[in-house]
Amino acid sequence: MTFLLPAAAVLALTLPAIVALYFLRIRRPTRIVPALNLWPDQSRDRQASVPWQRLRLSWLLLLQLLAAALLVAAAVQPALSAGTSLARHSVVLLDVSASMQARDVQPSRLDEAKKEIGGIIDQLGPQDRMTLIAVGSVPRILVSVVGDRQALHRAVNEIGASNGQADLSAALTLAAGLVRPGDDARAYLFSDGIVGPIRTESGNGLPFPVEYHRIGVSGENVGLTSLVVRTGAQSRAAYLHVQNFGQQARSFSLEWRADGRLVDVRPLTLAGGQAEDVVLPVPTDATLVSAHIAAGDVFALDDTVTAVARAPRAFHVLLVTPGNVFLEQAIRLRADIQLDVVAPAAYKSSAPYAMSIFDRYSPHALPDGPFIVIDPPAGSPLAGGPAIGIGRTRATDAGDPLLTNVDLRDVHIARSQDLRTNLFGRPLITSLQTPLVLVRDEPFRQALFGFDLHESDLPLRIAFPILIQKLSEWMLPPSVPSHSFHPDEPVTIVPETGAASVTVIRPDSSRRTLATNSISTFGDTDLIGLYTVEQLVSGKVDRSWFTVNLFSEQISQLKPAERLTLPPINNTATVHALHRGQLEIWPWIALVALGIVVLEWLAFHRGL
Amino acid sequence: MAALLDPPLLRRLEGLALQVRRAVSGQMGGERRATARGRSVEFADFRNYSPGDDFRLIDWNAYARLDRYMLRLFVAEQELPLSIFVDLSGSMDWGRPNKAVTAKRLAGAIAYVALAALDRVRLTVFAAGPTSGGAPYRGRRAVSELFSRLQSFPVGGPTDYARLVWPIGKQRPGMTVLISDGLGETSIDSAIAALGRARQEGAILQLLAPQEIAPDWTGDARLRDSETGVEREFTSTPVTQGAYLQALAHRTQEIESSAHRRGLRYARLSTDQPIEDMVQRTLRKLGLLS
Repeated sequence: MTFLLPAAAVLALTLPAIVALYFLRIRRPTRIVPALNLWPDQSRDRQASVPWQRLRLSWLLLLQLLAAALLVAAAVQPALSAGTSLARHSVVLLDVSASMQARDVQPSRLDEAKKEIGGIIDQLGPQDRMTLIAVGSVPRILVSVVGDRQALHRAVNEIGASNGQADLSAALTLAAGLVRPGDDARAYLFSDGIVGPIRTESGNGLPFPVEYHRIGVSGENVGLTSLVVRTGAQSRAAYLHVQNFGQQARSFSLEWRADGRLVDVRPLTLAGGQAEDVVLPVPTDATLVSAHIAAGDVFALDDTVTAVARAPRAFHVLLVTPGNVFLEQAIRLRADIQLDVVAPAAYKSSAPYAMSIFDRYSPHALPDGPFIVIDPPAGSPLAGGPAIGIGRTRATDAGDPLLTNVDLRDVHIARSQDLRTNLFGRPLITSLQTPLVLVRDEPFRQALFGFDLHESDLPLRIAFPILIQKLSEWMLPPSVPSHSFHPDEPVTIVPETGAASVTVIRPDSSRRTLATNSISTFGDTDLIGLYTVEQLVSGKVDRSWFTVNLFSEQISQLKPAERLTLPPINNTATVHALHRGQLEIWPWIALVALGIVVLEWLAFHRGL
Repeated sequence: MAALLDPPLLRRLEGLALQVRRAVSGQMGGERRATARGRSVEFADFRNYSPGDDFRLIDWNAYARLDRYMLRLFVAEQELPLSIFVDLSGSMDWGRPNKAVTAKRLAGAIAYVALAALDRVRLTVFAAGPTSGGAPYRGRRAVSELFSRLQSFPVGGPTDYARLVWPIGKQRPGMTVLISDGLGETSIDSAIAALGRARQEGAILQLLAPQEIAPDWTGDARLRDSETGVEREFTSTPVTQGAYLQALAHRTQEIESSAHRRGLRYARLSTDQPIEDMVQRTLRKLGLLS
């Protein structure tokens, strides 16, 4: 046993003080009574009241001394050695991701983790410090290097679960930044192990060991992991993916709704580990569809999914070309584009189009808006230098999102205009000889191809439709994307032209107002469900929707990881000197002292 | 000085009279049957005439039948000698309402009933010793003088019931009322025994204050005896108050038993009881008044 506040032992002086007070004469008010001989003689007390008479046994005195001794014992804060090994600086990483809402342990994995963290907080000694980090999709520091146990308990109690994934790598990096070289630090990870990919090669390793406290026991769960609405030539249908992640067979019912109306109810039975794709009808006038399974499992977040069924609004696009079937087909792959193809001679600049594509043609005045110019004729404003032969092609920046999944390795280009001195924009695709494709954001998103598509094998490669798709999506992003997002995933919202207000209504009916004059990145997508975007255009409210669904097999499988592969420890950076946690027992001693005070009060009133 | 008893109360007391169980022996004519034969309308007996007797009492009809002089004897009606002993010791100067003040008022009320019935009243107050209230009072004209005298007596000093034995013993048989709290260093039993020996018909009226019947304080205190000045430290708790009440009940029980053994009436009165209520209810119920 150790004493956390030994200096409080000075309070033991209260014991002789109590005895002294018992000896000393008590100042009493005088009361005149008609006949003193009727009042009982309290000679024992009277004798004790005479100064410094020999101490006589008194239950009251003994109880007072005992209560005072216990209060002094509580004041020095005795603590018993506890089972947990603690460093001077404990970094607690609490997984708050969606899977921690599973109720395979009661009341939930998150609550169980908070309870265990509370136990560690109670064992902190006076010299110990703790840092609390909530591990979500973006890790948050709740308290940093704090020894106040009440503040720590308060911070832990205020933590709520999120619906996103846990980015443990980012949390470890954050924690490592809080530990100074030479600190005696140790991290405690309270998680079910269902975390994002862990980067184990980063930096010089972690400056502290990590103790993994596994939370959760079961992976029995049935979840909906995908819902996609496809529009065919004749009808529309939804494709739903249902999977039993557990080992036991489960029977449940599937409810299918369109705009809140019940359309279908199907009984389903899935063996352990079995998955099933269900095709469901979508009414032609439906805007929103949702599926719900009453599986009665321990995880509810993946039991309901929602999708937008309404087709997106079409963009009018103009293609001016003497004839390019590859380009025309690639543009038409995008369902929300209505393409007008005209010959250069028939081009009129007055017609409004969301995007214009000029193939081997350049008008005198380029339109104010997104466009792609391909191999502009010599003498036109965007034309480059004389054509030069091209060797290998490559991406200027391999990580450029416009070239995601665009494989340029087998693309060959015979020759291209020399765009080295062209100030159109930044190069997207280049070669050793000259940049081949330039793009710019200002004043509008626009692209310039320096070569004739017919003088390359690019249109024959799978990279071509992907590149055209990427460029058109970049230039013509839908005002509100209608597909499903993951929790905490940002959503790009482009206000309609002339929109007076843009408001996002979240699933909990809370509203967020966005700017109307710029593209907004909406990040408050932590809630699962339907998000409504209301735009006021010309006095009319235009509504569009997007959904946030869990759609994560990694989370839905729920099974806690037995162990985690964590980054290595940099042993040279820290000192690892563990000591036992301390379990304070003074509240119990104080409680007993209070009981004795009550007992003394009762004894006093019973005349002992 | 405030009046001892207010006139409306006095008017209501006029309808009462002292109630005696046996004949009285007074010195002057009154409204009570006397032990001596005297002049009245109530026939008592005959006896033979002897020289010196009042020949006006000779029954001439008896002489005609018996040829002897016979005297007719009648029951004489005399006044009732009432003695009132009032305790004005230090222990009586206590309580709310004050016991001594209440005792004086009660004594005044009983005396007024007696004086209104032409009875003779002798007043004695006592503390460490008895103090006579002067010559016996008789008739309504003596009321104001008796009241003034009652109010003039000081209060204080220890109680010595033993010193009442002599004045009680020299009483002629009659009625005696002793008003006291019965508290003190000496026992009241000697005074009660003296009343019994003096063939007194009367009552012991024990007067207590409500604060000593049910103490209204707790905690630590230094107790001082109102008569002796002796002090003692004391802690009042429900338990110790219970012991006090038990001692008080025992003392009261002793006084009541002693009175009943001597054929005396006994009543315990509280000073918060109105005087009229004491007289009209308690003393009538006790048979002292009718």
